Amino acid sequence: MLHELEIAGEAMALHPWGVVYWERPSMLLISELHLGKVMHFRKHGAAVPRRALLRNFERLREVSAYFGPRSICFLGDLFHSHINREWLLFEQWARGSTARLELVCGNHDILSPLRYEALGMRWRERWENGPFLLTHEPEEADTLFNVSGHIHPAVRLAGPGRQQLRLPCFYLRKQQLILPAFGAFTGSHALSPEAGDRIFALAGDRVIALEEPARGPRA
Amino acid sequence: MTPTRPDERALLDLAATWFSDQGWEPFAFQHETWEAFLSGKHGLLNAPTGSGKTYALWFPILLHYMKLHPDFRVRRKAGLKAVWITPLRALSQEIRQSAERITADLGIPFEVGIRTGDTSSAERARQRKVLPDLLITTPESLQLLLATKGYATAFRDCYAIVVDEWHELLGSKRGVQMELALSRLKTVCRDLRIWGISATIGNLDQARQVLLGPGSQAYADSVLIRAQLNKKIVVKSLLPKKMESFPWRGHLGLHLLESVIPIIEQSKTTLLFTNTRGQCEIWFQKLLEKHPELAGEIAMHHGSIDKETRLWVEQAIRNESLRAVVCTSSLDLGVDFAPVETVVQIGGPKGVARFLQRAGRSGHRPGQESRIYFLPTHAIELVEASALQQAVRTGAVEDRTPYLASFDVLVQYLTTLAVSDGFYPEELYREVSGTFCYQALSREQWEWLLNFLVLGSQSLQSYDEYKKVEVQPDGRFLVTNRGVALRHRFQIGTIVGDADIKVKYQKGGYIGTIEEWFISKLQPGDVFTFAGRNLEFIRIKDMVALVRNSSDKSSKTPSWMGGRLTLSSEMSQLLREELYSAALPLKSQSDEIRALAPLFERQREESIVPGPDEFLIETFQSQDGFHHILYPFEGRFVHEAMASLLSYRISLLAPITFSLAYNDYGFELLSDQEVDMQMVLDNDLFSTDYLLDDLEKSLNATEMARRKFRDIAVISGLVFSGYPKKNIQMKHLQSNAQLLFEVFRDYEPDHLLFLQAFRETFEHQLEEGRLRLALERIGRQRMVWKPCQNPTPFSFPIITDRLREKLSSERLADRIRKMTQILTSRKRR
Repeated sequence: MLHELEIAGEAMALHPWGVVYWERPSMLLISELHLGKVMHFRKHGAAVPRRALLRNFERLREVSAYFGPRSICFLGDLFHSHINREWLLFEQWARGSTARLELVCGNHDILSPLRYEALGMRWRERWENGPFLLTHEPEEADTLFNVSGHIHPAVRLAGPGRQQLRLPCFYLRKQQLILPAFGAFTGSHALSPEAGDRIFALAGDRVIALEEPARGPRA
Repeated sequence: MTPTRPDERALLDLAATWFSDQGWEPFAFQHETWEAFLSGKHGLLNAPTGSGKTYALWFPILLHYMKLHPDFRVRRKAGLKAVWITPLRALSQEIRQSAERITADLGIPFEVGIRTGDTSSAERARQRKVLPDLLITTPESLQLLLATKGYATAFRDCYAIVVDEWHELLGSKRGVQMELALSRLKTVCRDLRIWGISATIGNLDQARQVLLGPGSQAYADSVLIRAQLNKKIVVKSLLPKKMESFPWRGHLGLHLLESVIPIIEQSKTTLLFTNTRGQCEIWFQKLLEKHPELAGEIAMHHGSIDKETRLWVEQAIRNESLRAVVCTSSLDLGVDFAPVETVVQIGGPKGVARFLQRAGRSGHRPGQESRIYFLPTHAIELVEASALQQAVRTGAVEDRTPYLASFDVLVQYLTTLAVSDGFYPEELYREVSGTFCYQALSREQWEWLLNFLVLGSQSLQSYDEYKKVEVQPDGRFLVTNRGVALRHRFQIGTIVGDADIKVKYQKGGYIGTIEEWFISKLQPGDVFTFAGRNLEFIRIKDMVALVRNSSDKSSKTPSWMGGRLTLSSEMSQLLREELYSAALPLKSQSDEIRALAPLFERQREESIVPGPDEFLIETFQSQDGFHHILYPFEGRFVHEAMASLLSYRISLLAPITFSLAYNDYGFELLSDQEVDMQMVLDNDLFSTDYLLDDLEKSLNATEMARRKFRDIAVISGLVFSGYPKKNIQMKHLQSNAQLLFEVFRDYEPDHLLFLQAFRETFEHQLEEGRLRLALERIGRQRMVWKPCQNPTPFSFPIITDRLREKLSSERLADRIRKMTQILTSRKRR
């Protein structure tokens, strides 16, 4: 179930897998795939389940089919490490994709840009696009609205009966949206929200907006 | 036993003469062990620390050599003859000294070597050329030897292996590691005798079976020898003068600090055992604060203090220069301290065997009695004190449960052999399936494990680059990649703890190690108490926390994780019996129970003190929500399981979320909704039907399995923990076991190592067997449900526990809607 809202005057939809769909240009924004991470471990003798790397591609195919976007923009950390054969799976997917592929480079993206260009992908360090500044790491922009990843945001919640929850989330604040991580073998980082910040938690098959709950440290 | 041959008789006389030269008389168990060993038997020797057990086995090992080599004085064939395994490397020096004493006196030109994690690389390199005649080592270092090329040749002439403190290893994965090593050495060594030494435990004969292999020839050829030393143990509880002001909860016991002062003054040396390192620090600090005159006369000993200091303390106990030492289980084992006259146990020891072992640390001289004082930290612990008295009288001791089918240790072991000379699966399957741990290992599981090692999964995929063990053309499983081999050698070992950080003065000077999570909570400038000092945290540099001394009084004390003890089933039964005696007339009660009279009176104002046929449930409301407290008196682990089970079953009736808390006496289900207790009773929710099924489905079991998985992932090499003591950057291969657990849950839930985490949870954490018995017992009791206005004395220690688990049957979205607060400060659990 999508959560639709307006950001910087644009119609956007938040998907429960952590993807944002920007309606006007029909662009899908995806952050932190960390492809190649599973194979990197396997190559060094740590048998992380192979199925985990396949899921990334299954989900990519599914969200592409669902939105049918004109383009897909990866907000960095697309490929986790040095080249390994997970790249071949990505090539296969990229060649079959009808959407135009864009990359904003992140700290983990150490592969030669030539590889992306060979797939017809465009890559940039940062991208000013309409009202948005698309980056990997969150940035302060004077006039543009920043959309980024990098942090793998999560939120921790507490309720009556001493209950606690921790969920990955979209993190929206003045002039900034931070996407959760999309990749299967990635962790998350719990943030401490400040007044005015808005949080959209990923709750299985839906995105739930946390409406201004009481804040502050636990009593 | 076969009659002793004349040449053996002469040898045995040699040993006896040596004893009388020292002015000693050999014990019967020493004689028995010498004879059994010389007649070629394997065996298990049940003897406590300080009884001369090292001489019981060093002697026949040397006598055997003299028998085979009458020209032993002039000719020596280099190479390994015997291995002595100790679980604590701190004990190795002492074991070496006793061996050297005999070799010197008998004139055998043997080299006695030590190989542990502390052994220098130069010494190690020397040993790699040729091993010493007698080698003292740890289970981990023995595995490392098996990871060395040509180990089979090096061990061929080894004729004896002694596994000391076998009871300590038995109930742990280090014990499994020993079983596997022995299974290999039985093949590799040409004429081997295997001996274990164990303190008293409930399952001694099983301990022998695990050591030697069930149904093995070695087991058939073995003996169990018990040292009958009949030591007298005197237990005395320290009772508060005024029960009214004694706390209902707490775990420090500082209220009774003054009552240990006369004990310390009256005896030569006193050991004060605490249950955690944190408690140890605080007691040491407070003793000095209240009694500055003790400065220089008391010391502290626990596992995080640097080795030099610990050795100094141990030496100071031996030469009687200390009045008292505050310590933890770090002084449970080994090292014989003759001068210790008195032992004080602070807080419940939770098990009879541990209590007896600690009591046994005092009064080592023949004829002396062991004296132990029990200091309760809160009121209800007095019931435990009374139960301990009972236990000492009746001699009830717990079992140590050996591990079964630990695939993680097996994966590590197979990789170890693949790193050295490689292995042939057919030959190895016979050895492995002959051990106790893997006696039920099926062919399918074996094939699965081999696939896992070679393919990293159960099928081959063209794009996969998994690399670990390779199959050679002749069918040998071998590691050829040097990186894999190097990482594996660093990884060998089965003890997994939190990452440790060294604590050093900025100006230099090593103080000890602290778990990383504690340091990570500190801000520069924060003051904390460690090793009896107040230290100001400066910063972390290269895995070292730099500190300086501080005069600041207000400080944090690290509360170390781990080591949360639970009552054994023997203890909990004794505990219930003592509690039931509260209904007896005062004069037939023990002192401890009598002292609790005011507390029982308070308890009875709103509730009851349950009798043998009653099961107590209390409910009340507070601003935290609705509290439901149940009292099975079965020990923490069983309560953890029962709380998980019951909350799951209640949640099936209606959507509800619980947070759970437990201690050794009972457990609490806390919720924002009230549970209809009558409904719980009517629906027979304590039933043993579908027990395992329901436990598996409860969220809590998953959380526990997640924690077990951490160790499994490290032991099996799924997670690389980094190079110890080396500053080699390996961050790119360090992953979080939590994350890995989720990946397995989502993508490979039938993985043997993932399933093992759940099996260990049920067998070792939730103790399914005990849970079943407890539920059956409760089924025969009458339920007494007491709605209360206020917390009762029984409930108080439980409801104030902040370490909680949760369970929910509400939809995630509904739960999120109820959340009223977003947490901002990072709170570590």
